[in-house]
Amino acid sequence: MVELQERRLKPGALVIPALLLVSAFLLAPLALILRFSLDLYDPAQLMQGVFSLDNYVKVFTDPFYTQVLGFTAQIAALSTAICLLLGYPVAYFISRSHSERLRSLLIILTVLPLLMGNAVRSAAWMVVMGSSGLINGLLLAVGIIEEPVKILYTPTAVVIGLVSVLLPFAIITLQSVIDSIPASLEEAGRSLGYSPLRTMVAVVMPISLPGIVAAAAICFCLAMNAYATPVLIGGPSVHMMGPLVYQQIAKVANWPFGSALAWVLMAVTLVLTVVSTTYLSRRYF
Amino acid sequence: MPTSAGRVLFLVFVAAVFLFLVAPLVVIVWASFFADKILTFPPSGYTLAWYARAWQLPDFASGFLMSVQVAICATLGSLLLGVPAALAVERFRFPGREPLRQILLAPMYVPAIVAGAAVYLYFVQVEIATEVQLTATFPGVMIAHTMVGLPWTMRLVCASLATTGSIAEEAAQSLGANALQTFFYVTLPIIRPGVIAAALFSFIASFTELEMSLFLVGPGKTTLPIAIVNYLEWNLDSTIAAVATVQILIIGAVLLASDRFVNLGKAF
Repeated sequence: MVELQERRLKPGALVIPALLLVSAFLLAPLALILRFSLDLYDPAQLMQGVFSLDNYVKVFTDPFYTQVLGFTAQIAALSTAICLLLGYPVAYFISRSHSERLRSLLIILTVLPLLMGNAVRSAAWMVVMGSSGLINGLLLAVGIIEEPVKILYTPTAVVIGLVSVLLPFAIITLQSVIDSIPASLEEAGRSLGYSPLRTMVAVVMPISLPGIVAAAAICFCLAMNAYATPVLIGGPSVHMMGPLVYQQIAKVANWPFGSALAWVLMAVTLVLTVVSTTYLSRRYF
Repeated sequence: MPTSAGRVLFLVFVAAVFLFLVAPLVVIVWASFFADKILTFPPSGYTLAWYARAWQLPDFASGFLMSVQVAICATLGSLLLGVPAALAVERFRFPGREPLRQILLAPMYVPAIVAGAAVYLYFVQVEIATEVQLTATFPGVMIAHTMVGLPWTMRLVCASLATTGSIAEEAAQSLGANALQTFFYVTLPIIRPGVIAAALFSFIASFTELEMSLFLVGPGKTTLPIAIVNYLEWNLDSTIAAVATVQILIIGAVLLASDRFVNLGKAF
C-alpha cells in the first residue's frame, strides 16, 4: 500500500520546503559562523579573511574568558545537580500517582511556568528577590532584618532562577522514563522488606539511570546557554557565556571571537546531546 | 504506601517543589495590582492603573502588537511547512528519512543564543550580498520564529500520524481518491487534534521567544519579551508586573485551549 501512495505523492516535494527553511536559515548560518570563528578581528574591516585558531586559543587561555567559561560550567553543574535532587522525587510521585486527573494536573503545573517564557519568569523572580521584593518585604515586616538583604544580582540568585527554568525539563524527562518501569519491580523490592524510600533509591533509580543522564544533559546544556536569567537575575557583575556571545557579536562587533564563543557552546551541546541519546537508547524498558 | 511520617515528608517535599515553580508567577500577578509607586510588600492598596500605564508606553503597546502578528504568521508558516514534512517522514519510506527528521527537529536542539548569533550574522551577509534588509525587520523575525515553531509542529503532527495509522488513507485511495482529496478529506480530519496542538504550541514558542529575537529586532520593531527585558534593565515596578500578567493570561488561555487536544506531558 505504501507503493500506491508513492505513485501519487512524492515525499520529496513534501519535505523540501521545510528542509530549505532549516538549511538556509539554521545550518548555513551555523556553517557561516564556524568559518567566522576561524577568522581574525580587524577594527577597520571587521574581519581579515584569514584562517586561524587564535580565537579558540583565546577562549581557553585568556584568564578572563577561562574564568567565565569555568564559572558558567560551575553554575550549570550546580543547577543541574539541584534539579535532579528536587526533580526525581517529584517525577516519581507524578509517575506513580494512580489518579489520571492528578497526573495531568501536576504535569500542567510543571510545564505552565516553563511556557510563560524566560522574560516573564525572570521578571517574576526579580519581584520576589529584589531589594523591595517579596522576600525582603516579608523579612522586614516580621523584623528578622533591619535592612533589605541583597539576594538579586548574586550567583545564588542565578542558580535559583536557573533551577526554576530547568526543573520542568528534568521532571518531564525523568517522569517519562519512570513511567516505562513496571511497578511490579517496586512490589518485588517491598516484598524484600525495603522501605518506600529505599525502593525508590535502590530499585527504581538504577534502572532509570539513562533518564537521569538525559535529564542532566538537557539541564546542563540549557544552563550553559542561558541568557535571560544571568542578565536579569545575575546583573552586570555575573559573567556567563550566553550574555558574552551576545555582547561580543551585537555590541563589540567582534564577530570572529563571538562566533568562536558560540561554537564552544554549540560543541558542548552537540557532545552532550549525542552522549545522552546514545545512552538513552540503551534503556532496559 | 503506608501512611507514615516518611510519606507525609515526601508529600510536603513534592508540594514545596510545585510551590517553588508556581509561586513567582502568582506573586508577579499580585504585584501588578499594587497601588504604591515603588514596589512595596505588603502594598498600601490596590489599583488597576498600571495596566493603563503599560499600554501607554509605546514599547509595550507596539511590542505586544508585533509579537501577536509575528506569532500568527510564524504559526501559519510552521504549519504550512511542518505538516507536509511530518506526513513525508511518517507515511513514506525513503533513504535518509531518520537523518532528515533530526534535521527538521534541529531548531529545538541548537541553543537559541547560538542560533540567534548565527542567523544575525547570516542576515548581515545576505544584506551585503543582495541589499535586501532582513535584520531589524518583520520578515527577519518571522523567518526565525517560523523555524522555532517547526520542530513543535513536526513532533506533535508526527505523534498524531504515528498513533492513527494509514488504513483509512489506503481505503480512500483504493476507492479512487487522489493525493489531495485523501489529505483534505481523510488525513487532515484524523490528525486535526495534532495540527491544532501544533498551532497552539508554535504560537506560544514564537510569542515567548527571546534569545533569537534579541539579535534580530530593531528600533520600533521590537517584540514584547524584548520590551520586557529592556524595561527590566532599569526599572522594577508594577508596570512590568502588569505587562507580565498580560502575557501570562494570553499563554494561559492558549494552554487551556490546547489541553483538549494534547497530552501536555507527551508534548515535550
